[in-house]
Amino acid sequence: MTDTWMLVGPLLVVVAGGLVMMLVDAFTKEKAELALVTTVILGGAGALSLGLWFGGPETVQPGLIGSFLAYDRLAHFLDLVICGGAGLASLLAGGYLREHRIERGEFYVMLLFSAFGAMALVRAVNLLSIFVALETLSLGVYGLVAFRRASPRAAEGALKYFLLGSFASAVLLFGMALLYGATGQTGLGAIAAAIAEGNAAPTLLILSMLLLLVGLGFKVSAVPFHAWAPDAYEGAVTPATTYMAVVVKAAVFGVMIRIFFVGFGDPELANTDTGWPPAIAGLAAVTLVFGNLAALVQKSVKRMLAYSSISHAGFVLLGLVAAFELRSEAAGDEPLHTVMGDEGMSAVLYYLAAYTVSNVLAFGSLVLVGSYGREAVSYQDLAGVARRHPWVGVPFALGVLSLMGFPPTAGFFAKYYVILAAVESGGSLVWLAVLAVVFSAIGAFYYLRVLVFLFMKQPEEGAPIAIPMRSGYVVAALTGASYFVIRMGVTPEYYLSLVSQVGEYGGELSATTFLWDAGLAVVASGIVAALSTLTTGKADEAEAADEAEASEKAAA
Amino acid sequence: MTDVLTTLLVWPLPWVLLTLFVGRLFPKVGPLGHVFAMGGAVVLSTVFFGAPDPDGILSALLAWPALGAIIALFLPRQWGGGVRTYASVWLWAGFVLSLYLLGPVVREALAPTPEAFAEASPIARFFYSHVALPFFGEFATDPSFGFAQAGYQLVEDTPWIESFGIHYKVGIDGISLWLILLTTLLTPLALDVSWNSVNTKVKEFAFAFLLLEVGMLGAFVALDLFLFYVFWELMLVPMYLIIGVWGGKDRVYAAVKFFIYTMIGSLLMLVAILYVVMQYRYAPENAAEVITFDLERISFLMLPRTEQLVLFFAFALAFAIKVPMFPFHTWLPDAHVQAPTGGSVILAAVLLKLGGYGFIRFAMPLFPWASRYVAPSLAVFAIIGIIYGAYCAWVQRDVKKLVAYSSVSHLGFVMLGLFSMTEGGVSGGILQMVSHGISTGALFILVGVVYDRRHTRDLADFGGLAKVMPAYATLFVIVAMSSVGLPGTNGFVGEFMVLSGTFVSQTFNVYQKVFTLFAATGVILAAIYMLHAVLKTFWGPVTHEENEKLEDLSGREKWILAPLIVLIFWIGVVPGFFLNPMEASVERFMSTWNARAIVAFQDDRLRILPGGLPEEGEEAEPAPADEAEEQEEAEAARAPADGESDPHAANLARDADGRLARLGGTR
Repeated sequence: MTDTWMLVGPLLVVVAGGLVMMLVDAFTKEKAELALVTTVILGGAGALSLGLWFGGPETVQPGLIGSFLAYDRLAHFLDLVICGGAGLASLLAGGYLREHRIERGEFYVMLLFSAFGAMALVRAVNLLSIFVALETLSLGVYGLVAFRRASPRAAEGALKYFLLGSFASAVLLFGMALLYGATGQTGLGAIAAAIAEGNAAPTLLILSMLLLLVGLGFKVSAVPFHAWAPDAYEGAVTPATTYMAVVVKAAVFGVMIRIFFVGFGDPELANTDTGWPPAIAGLAAVTLVFGNLAALVQKSVKRMLAYSSISHAGFVLLGLVAAFELRSEAAGDEPLHTVMGDEGMSAVLYYLAAYTVSNVLAFGSLVLVGSYGREAVSYQDLAGVARRHPWVGVPFALGVLSLMGFPPTAGFFAKYYVILAAVESGGSLVWLAVLAVVFSAIGAFYYLRVLVFLFMKQPEEGAPIAIPMRSGYVVAALTGASYFVIRMGVTPEYYLSLVSQVGEYGGELSATTFLWDAGLAVVASGIVAALSTLTTGKADEAEAADEAEASEKAAA
Repeated sequence: MTDVLTTLLVWPLPWVLLTLFVGRLFPKVGPLGHVFAMGGAVVLSTVFFGAPDPDGILSALLAWPALGAIIALFLPRQWGGGVRTYASVWLWAGFVLSLYLLGPVVREALAPTPEAFAEASPIARFFYSHVALPFFGEFATDPSFGFAQAGYQLVEDTPWIESFGIHYKVGIDGISLWLILLTTLLTPLALDVSWNSVNTKVKEFAFAFLLLEVGMLGAFVALDLFLFYVFWELMLVPMYLIIGVWGGKDRVYAAVKFFIYTMIGSLLMLVAILYVVMQYRYAPENAAEVITFDLERISFLMLPRTEQLVLFFAFALAFAIKVPMFPFHTWLPDAHVQAPTGGSVILAAVLLKLGGYGFIRFAMPLFPWASRYVAPSLAVFAIIGIIYGAYCAWVQRDVKKLVAYSSVSHLGFVMLGLFSMTEGGVSGGILQMVSHGISTGALFILVGVVYDRRHTRDLADFGGLAKVMPAYATLFVIVAMSSVGLPGTNGFVGEFMVLSGTFVSQTFNVYQKVFTLFAATGVILAAIYMLHAVLKTFWGPVTHEENEKLEDLSGREKWILAPLIVLIFWIGVVPGFFLNPMEASVERFMSTWNARAIVAFQDDRLRILPGGLPEEGEEAEPAPADEAEEQEEAEAARAPADGESDPHAANLARDADGRLARLGGTR
């Protein structure tokens, strides 16, 4: 019995942390410290997952956990991504909410419960647990989007997200009902077995597959189910946007892997010509094309990053198809139960991890550039920031270059790995890979605009000048994320082996390297954050200079 | 690793420290003092420590500017111009470090054999034994290092990302040698040119130049496709910033255009690289599914012909944009006009060379059949580029644009030479790359000089400058003549070799004479537009009052131009010194290429030629290339070509005959 508790330990830590946080929130005045506590809780959950990865039991007795929640390395890996992304987002919130005077403890509570939903989702193997986890995840995010109550944009975004999200949930639920109707099962494994026996009505199956794809496509904001994303991303407070962009996507992609590779892994439903792989490939192509083109014409950086995260979803979908192709080549007619550890699947997981840190860097820098009364959202707001504050430009440039896929950053290896998998699986996927790189080259254009405004432009005359906020929390988050962007770009070997061992237990990899990395990142974040707060005096001077410059401009 | 560190700490670092110290002690001496201080420091380190270890010298060359860039980031902003001095001295130390690569070249030139050495003039003997030998040390004495051998020299190979088969593998041969030296020479020069014109954000400027040198050198020495790609992309960001931050009025437009053009090409190249690597992995011979990005191994992969064509186009697009070949050249005039003088110099002198280098090092060896098949068509584009570029240059009013279009024209010659696939054409093309780097670099420096004074580049704003600035006029005319290709200057040698190579080329089917004729008109047009510019700028009366008080070249500017002028005449008068080290590598490149083109022609299936797989138990040493090729070649020549009626096939067979005869075989 104790074993069972341990196996879901990461979940329990987060949910208990959320409950405690509700109490603490009621009794504290210093809300920013809650950010640190949240990060520590999420870090603890991540550490527990890591412990289970390296030291946990290798198999689980079938029982309550076995039938509703999986216990495998896929879940633990995505736990790390989710905890990392959510922890960094809460650090960003620690600086952001205080600076913009909307500091309320609910943010962290909602974030924790939503992260709990995400972590439950990545290990859910039963239609019931999937739906419950997905709703837990989504409800928290609806709240986070609407967090800035007074802002009409936030309300609009949240309402849009909530309404469309409810529809998507309904569609998903309908799909699940049909699937249950077709197979009489709710467990993914049992569903696969029922399909393999040939007892399921094909029409119902295909219909349910389609509905599930639509529902999940909505959650990962794949085109054409993306309409909510830009508004919700723009309306939400930026730390919540970060959370949505990284955690929600990682969790939903995790469950997508389980549903499609395990539940619908039957060769009848999954092969190169029919079934879900061509559908997802089409979705990937449309998402890549539309996401990049739409990002090109945005005037707001936040909206641009929203569209860019849509286009990144296209890349992950491409990775999923490549993973399927590679798997089916290797497995022949076998069902696709054991997909983990394949090159394609590793590519997807690596992409999710790299995308998480790069996005935290991009959104976090956007947080850092704004200060009270003036949040940086448009390109104009960024004009000349790096000229006045070079150290603000560095993480922004790094994040944007990594999202662009520029070597040697984490984002480059992520894209590289996905393209490698696509090229390796051959056939028409090579052309999809070509499409993907052509559109990432187009993507370079809008990412470059950020650099152009940061480094090369000056603010227009009379325009208000963005003054970066001073927050140790934000700086710490950026430092940690920068560390991993560079680490996973320059010497990715360890992390590549990590994702390639998601499939099996054991393996020669040791946790030491990761612990070193995490430790170094934490120490570096602490030092840089401390330095940034210590040099406040100097920063004040810079700010004074900024204001002088601004008034000069106004006078001219 | 420790070797590299030792090399850096014992050789270039003391040079820099001593030079900076002397410069600080005697601030009045200027560039000359720095040169003497650096020279003295080199003498001292040579006396005390001799020469560095040849192993790891390439890594040291790469690590040196990288280290400098990191240090530059932490220098105090208030130091202002001091940061520039630091970066300049740092880059010059890198140049001296790269001179060690010349060891075997000097040996071959002065003392190829003991007998030849004994017969040499006493001055040469003294120079060799008392100056060259102590300085070069092992670089000159080690018989295994030399460009008379064809293969790659000074190869370093360490695993980088083992699970993908990605290695850090670098090496040089006669083809890349001069391009590396060109890079290490022009980068500090380009930084020095901006001495007075770039006064904002000097620290970032220095950082960009140091980082840029890492990217360029890395791309020239990389022997691993992946490593090459990384360096190739790494060059982009600093150049983008140089144009975009310190450029002219429309700098952002030009910078973004430059970035996007190059990025589109290089991303397609990345897909092609991955495809090639995957084909290697799943080739029937590769039972163990070894995955590698090693250029030397992958070039043994023979791809089916259609695949070769598609992949060749993916590579060629990336390189053609960089060269730039017509019709992908439109980014170049924009980038040149907007870039600051130093940026233009680097762009013209080194970055563009990476396109030609990419063709000769990657695109052509990897896809021999395809490159042979499309060579005539690409040559047509090269010739259109030559003539079109020249015409465009003729009508420009902006001198910088004129030089930019003249680059399009000159680089057309380079591409024509490479595609002609004759020994003269290829070595002429490579020499022309170096020459173009020197002449065009010098031209941009000269244009920058007058722009700094007058802040205009419009030809109409000048006239009669020869009276006001005699030294400037003299140097400008010399450089213009070298760009035109006057005998005795560097431009002549390269272009002449390219034209004569094209004339006898067999890859161009029956068109070689027509091609030569059209290309030769480019030389005439070059004379027209260059002389036109010289006439408008220097001769006649001084038409504008502002021009009457222009200062002539300053001491610093003369010092910057001096090495380039010396090289213009050196290459022009003694081209052998520059051509000899290339010879073996070019010969090897062509024979393998020819042989493999034939092999691909006769047998259209995916396979790895013998020698392209790691042997049992000896992972590191690939089988000697030549033997395997000769076998294949002999087979190829013996087997009846299955399309004898096809003129193309006849051509190929003729080639095989010639090659066989040279090898001493019979049919």
